[in-house]
Amino acid sequence: MSMGRDVYVVGVGMHRYGKHDVSRRDMHYTAGMAALEDANLSFRDVGALYTGYIGGNMLDGVTFAKDFGLTGLPVVHIENASATGSSAFREAVMAVAGGSSETAMAIAFDGRLGNMAAAGGPRRPTMDTNLLPAAFFAFWAVRRMHEKGTSVETFAKIAAKNWNHARFNKYAERQADKEITPETVLASPMVAYPHTAMMACGAGAGASAAIVATREVALRLANGRPLVKVIASQMQSERYQPGHVFLGAIVGPSESTRITANLAYEEAGVGPNDLSLVHVHDAFPIEELMYYELLGICPDGEGDRLVAEGATTIGGRIPFSTDGGLIGRGHPGGPTGLAQIWDVTQQLRGESGVRQVEGARLGLAHMMGAGSVCVVHILQKE
Amino acid sequence: MKVPVEEGYFRIPPEAHAAPVLLGSYSPAASTYFWPRRKRCPISLEAVEDCELSTEGEIYSWTFVMLPWLGSMEMDTGGGFGAVQVDLPEGVRIQAPLEGKMGDWKIGQKVRLVTRSVGKDDQGNDLCTIAFRVMEGSK
Repeated sequence: MSMGRDVYVVGVGMHRYGKHDVSRRDMHYTAGMAALEDANLSFRDVGALYTGYIGGNMLDGVTFAKDFGLTGLPVVHIENASATGSSAFREAVMAVAGGSSETAMAIAFDGRLGNMAAAGGPRRPTMDTNLLPAAFFAFWAVRRMHEKGTSVETFAKIAAKNWNHARFNKYAERQADKEITPETVLASPMVAYPHTAMMACGAGAGASAAIVATREVALRLANGRPLVKVIASQMQSERYQPGHVFLGAIVGPSESTRITANLAYEEAGVGPNDLSLVHVHDAFPIEELMYYELLGICPDGEGDRLVAEGATTIGGRIPFSTDGGLIGRGHPGGPTGLAQIWDVTQQLRGESGVRQVEGARLGLAHMMGAGSVCVVHILQKE
Repeated sequence: MKVPVEEGYFRIPPEAHAAPVLLGSYSPAASTYFWPRRKRCPISLEAVEDCELSTEGEIYSWTFVMLPWLGSMEMDTGGGFGAVQVDLPEGVRIQAPLEGKMGDWKIGQKVRLVTRSVGKDDQGNDLCTIAFRVMEGSK
């Protein structure tokens, strides 16, 4: 992407993720108003709105936006599977970078996965849906165990870490009242070998929002807080790889992450060793483990060592999933990528409390969307 | 009678016990096979030819999913179902359900295609998807 104008995150907002029954519309309003208040902006100041959701009706985005006011701003519905929120954020960034808006909001929301599925009732399998995502990532895990000797304990350690990061995130779906151990994770029921239920991402409801703006607007709104600049925004769909799987529940070849991240590093002029914290699509711990390597955080085959050393825990060399990630914070679908932006922004501002990454300067947010796409953003404290 | 749950992915030969046949594409420009059929070669963007693919391959990876089979609210006998990624000799990787139970499978085992019933159509035909079965004697 060529950034015509510098773009800054000026406001972020969340509605708690979880298995609650708050309406999608109310969650949308809460997250959006929180972002506006965080930015100290009126909705009248927002030049464009990109609204993301996977379930629901086609009119929901523009209908729910009326709760903020009728200002005539352009509203666009974005849907890109799990990368919906990341895609909405990217569109908002593009609107500001390209000069069509001084300020743009990305917002995304979804209800509980179970409710969305139940609405359709049991369905006859089709050729494209005869396996679930849980099986797809389990294939990665079993193959990894075969090729690299990765143990189930390594997967359990990653999941336990993310559960424990989520304990101190008031917006997380899973807020355990005591420390979660790898043994607890392993003792939970099996979902798809070798993944247990506590290794699987939360699938509750939630909403998240972020507002981006030009440098001039960001400086006016800063009020003593550090500016958070978007220094890379990259998206890629699939490129053919040997062993390419075309049909079924897939997020494309794992190499999509390496390709997209390298484009983002090039755009930002930074490398993986410069990062302070990272968010990834950790729907299952095998993903986080592989992304350590695909993002260049460590050489191929050495991700297990990072886990053993505790390097990806808050306080470690390169913390991952600092708000709990998909496993701990939860993964409603649409909004997840914006929850990552919420956490990275707060980390770079130094506002993350007990979860604060000391000296955080540069954060990367990575999402996969089934179908499939990969989105990577890099944010920098200025 | 057995019929595919969707047309265009595989055919079921009329002979009893014959394996289903995968309907693929071949790209002469890229010397590469694909499944399911492609409208264009995703590598060269040139035209592709229809072809039929092997009915046997090797396990690339597998899992056992402790969830109800799609289309059902109840667990299969055995508390879930196997699933597999299989590499065919043409270089095509396919994922599908896998017959058997946890502990039956390992990477590199030879498997062959079978059909799996997923319900009946209005005419009473058995609607089938594809699945794999470990070949007898494959270690």
